[in-house]
Amino acid sequence: MLTAGCDIGALTTKAAVIRDGVILGCEVVRSRAKALQSATDVMDKLLGGLGIQYGHIDYCISTGYGRNLVPFAQRNMSEISCHARGAHWLAPSVRTVIDGGGQDCKAIRVDGQGKLSDFRMNTKCAAGTGKALELMARSLGVEVSELGPLSLQAKEPVIMNKPCCILMQIEVKRLVFEGRDRADIAAGANDMVAREIMHLVRDIGQENDIAVTGGVAKNVGLVRCLEKYLGVASVRFSVDTQLIGAIGAAVLAADRCWEAVADRSGDGATR
Amino acid sequence: MSAKAAIIDDSGPLAFEILPYTGFPQEAATAVMEKVLARAGAAHSKVARFLSTGFGGKAVPHSDGAVPDTVCLQRAVRKLNANVRTVINVGGHSFTVFHIDDTGGLGESAITDMCTAGMGMFLDVVSTALEISPDEMSGELSLSGKPLFIDNQCPIFAESEALSLINEGYDRCDVFAGVTSAVANKIAGLARRLGLKEEVAMVGGVAKNRLVKAILEKNLGIRFADLAGIDPQVVAAYGAALLAREGCSLDSQSLSSTAAERLHREGKP
Repeated sequence: MLTAGCDIGALTTKAAVIRDGVILGCEVVRSRAKALQSATDVMDKLLGGLGIQYGHIDYCISTGYGRNLVPFAQRNMSEISCHARGAHWLAPSVRTVIDGGGQDCKAIRVDGQGKLSDFRMNTKCAAGTGKALELMARSLGVEVSELGPLSLQAKEPVIMNKPCCILMQIEVKRLVFEGRDRADIAAGANDMVAREIMHLVRDIGQENDIAVTGGVAKNVGLVRCLEKYLGVASVRFSVDTQLIGAIGAAVLAADRCWEAVADRSGDGATR
Repeated sequence: MSAKAAIIDDSGPLAFEILPYTGFPQEAATAVMEKVLARAGAAHSKVARFLSTGFGGKAVPHSDGAVPDTVCLQRAVRKLNANVRTVINVGGHSFTVFHIDDTGGLGESAITDMCTAGMGMFLDVVSTALEISPDEMSGELSLSGKPLFIDNQCPIFAESEALSLINEGYDRCDVFAGVTSAVANKIAGLARRLGLKEEVAMVGGVAKNRLVKAILEKNLGIRFADLAGIDPQVVAAYGAALLAREGCSLDSQSLSSTAAERLHREGKP
């Protein structure tokens, strides 16, 4: 059985193809203006590389920001369900998924079957998101990707106390001018964002094991801060964490097929 | 977001200057002082006493002392209009409401310093995204007839919301008017929480925005007091100059601590 997942994000579009429980391939492209273009791009690239005809795919689920604009997908599902399913499929012990994106952040509870059971999402404030990291990195004069490695060299991390990302950025600027060590500032920035993310995790209730996914998972310093507050190490994935949504969509597509095979109706397993 | 300076002598104000900046407060302070001295035609050595205030007040080079902005505002407003009892101060990243009691002293105050909702920074982030200049912001543009409702309180989210409304084909004046009224409503909320005692004055850079003032007047059912025609953005600098003339630098330390004790700090809304 061959299934595909296509995750159309605001910044990048990801696709994954799985056959009988094995990942055949994954692909990431930069998102274009129209969701359909992005989806077509990523699927052409992935299927072309694998030498698979589109018609051979039994079921495709789209997810992400442009998920309802993909005509070749049989169904679309929320990225929250897909991240939950994907993380659980890759690491079945996962019960809590922290998914940190560019402008959103979610704490997701997964049950033993990989089904989404509850989630919390930031709705009012961008302080716990990649955007806050990006603004602070800009004030620090580094790329957002350097924030993690830089913060690991910190000796005395600064303590920031403004939970608004605009005010955080101003505070970083002030600290830079005061001549504080840049690694210490980077560590303080990661710590501040981690504390904001922890509000969501505490609200939903921490249940181990914990997976960190999305773009913020690439910041090793931030993940360490989260682990410090969580008191446990997070699950390590062998795949790029930004692909987990697409993989989850492909797994949900397979679930869907199995259901059809078992001739069970309703959408219980894929909700 | 900008540095302001005022020079006064015994006869009154000599010169005001406003300098928007994106760099560091220290550099902006030096630059704005040079400009205001040039405008007043005075040499730095002629300045008898020099106080600093505001977000970067402690960082100002050669200052004789840093005074909390609330104290400066209270001093200036008392001088400009003795009938004012409530001051609403909204700057780039300052947002305070405070009372002045009948003897002219500083009364209760409320501060929001954990979130940019309601601050000038909010307008700045969204106007940059919509490519609206500061002049347009306080001019005709913001007086659109039919402001759109903007849901988000975080400037980052409001920025995306405003951009998607524009992409959906809405007029940018209406979108920006929506953003402006969101800010005004946030200000009204804090003012109401502290309680309004008339007369009410509005100071700070956001007080230059006619739409914000109009919405606030309607929402709070008041007319803003006249402040003798002073630019609302330089009121704190003027207050610092008045305090400097009164020799406040000598006890600015004790002044800072009592004022700080009085400030009722508020958490994130």
